[in-house]
Amino acid sequence: MNPTQNAWHHIRRSPIQSLVAVLVMTISFLSLNLFVIVSNGMSDVLKYFETKPEITIFLKDGLDKTTVENLQQELTSYPGIREIKFISKDKALSLYKEQNKNNPILTEMVTASILPASFEVSVSNPTVLEQISQNFSAKKDQVDEIIYQKDIIKSLLNWTDIIRKVGIISVSVSTLITFLIISVIIGMKITNRKEEISISRLLGASNFYVKKPFLIEGIIYGLTGGFVGALSAFGLSQFFAKSINHFFSPITFISTNISFYIYLLGLSLALGSMIGFLASWLGAKRYIKF
Amino acid sequence: MNVVFKNVSKHFGVINALNDVSFEIKSGDFVFLVGPSGAGKSSILKLVLHQYHPSSGHIYLDGEDIFLHHKSIVDKLRRNIGVIFQDYQLIADKTIEENIALALDINGVPASEIPARVEKVINQVNLNSRRHLFPSQLSGGELQRSALARALAVEPKLILADEPTGNLDPENSWMLIKLLTDINSQNGTTIIMTTHNMDIIQSLNKRIIAVKNGAIATDSQPVVVDIVKVEKTKFKKKLKRK
Repeated sequence: MNPTQNAWHHIRRSPIQSLVAVLVMTISFLSLNLFVIVSNGMSDVLKYFETKPEITIFLKDGLDKTTVENLQQELTSYPGIREIKFISKDKALSLYKEQNKNNPILTEMVTASILPASFEVSVSNPTVLEQISQNFSAKKDQVDEIIYQKDIIKSLLNWTDIIRKVGIISVSVSTLITFLIISVIIGMKITNRKEEISISRLLGASNFYVKKPFLIEGIIYGLTGGFVGALSAFGLSQFFAKSINHFFSPITFISTNISFYIYLLGLSLALGSMIGFLASWLGAKRYIKF
Repeated sequence: MNVVFKNVSKHFGVINALNDVSFEIKSGDFVFLVGPSGAGKSSILKLVLHQYHPSSGHIYLDGEDIFLHHKSIVDKLRRNIGVIFQDYQLIADKTIEENIALALDINGVPASEIPARVEKVINQVNLNSRRHLFPSQLSGGELQRSALARALAVEPKLILADEPTGNLDPENSWMLIKLLTDINSQNGTTIIMTTHNMDIIQSLNKRIIAVKNGAIATDSQPVVVDIVKVEKTKFKKKLKRK
């Protein structure tokens, strides 16, 4: 009987303990994978806002054409400017009418003279927005108001940070618990097979020879738990993907990229086998002392 | 395998299991360890197997002090020792065949060779019909023979047999003794056997170490038989009858 067959024999001889080990490992990897999927979604949301940085500068009424052109010229001098769109009062009115086409009373009341002209500036480097905001806020006789996504990004960053911290703490705690449970289960199995181990030792088996089936057993738990946990997380995320992605539209919060899931599965298997191995190694080290 | 005990003592708390025991068993010897229960016979075997640690003294196997070496060396030494334990020490949830195969696997015998080696020893001890059974399904005598088969399978340099005929009927006892003497004479395997069976001891003319109260009481070498003298006596007796 080779060590793998021996490990399988141990698993079959105490199915409840083995089931608990796989279950704990599965729950751990389910939470780990869900956390990674949500984190990835949060990053995408953040990236979306970060890669679409815009600032809108509303101008005061009554500015002459040269002043407006100067302001536009100044904006173009900033690094990383992608596009500068000037929304004249007339254009603002047509936009307003488009937005409120279902409310004719409003569109009749509002004229181009009461709507402000503005610049919509999109940049490739979001840090420049802060600079533009500060410099143009100082032009109080020309600029009426400035709006940009700083607050949205700040709030998103806060949320992402909180989710990451909570995720990392809970995944670490669950991994630690899993590690200890596997270690204790392997310890119990070693105690159950104490006689077999001591006979093998008397027959000349090395310490590693008697430990090997238990180490393989731990790796089997890790691989099974990692595989089932990852697949369950993928199944769950795909089940809710449509509604969640619709909510975050146009952002794809739940990834549909197959290679992302293959990568996650590989990571789960590698991590699972490592946790299983280390936990069983600790259990074997503690309990095999004869 | 050469076995040397040099002033070996073993204490269990206040109980002295062995007290300043010294002897040498040369490679290829067949030695009986005799004595009443609790005299220290099993302790000697357990010390040879490194199952016990001596309280004082030295034990040498093939010139190596086994208690000065790293555990891996002890494992290697144990692989050269075949043991027939008094309580059989067979793994309960493995069949007889698997128990024997395990010993071979521990000895590093290639997997492809294991079935043939198992087959050979199972036939030697007449356990062919019991090979797929578990130890709990066998009688005392069958268990004893299974333990013997496992010890023989690894083709050891030294066999330690602790009361191997204790649970055997006379026929199987003699079969076991024949197997051990054959292995001793053919392979030069050193054999140390504890027993209470005086018929076997008297009929074999082997060295006998008698242990009493944890010490060597007597150490009698086998009687060297002068064949010429024996034959001459036999001839004279026959002539007288005529």
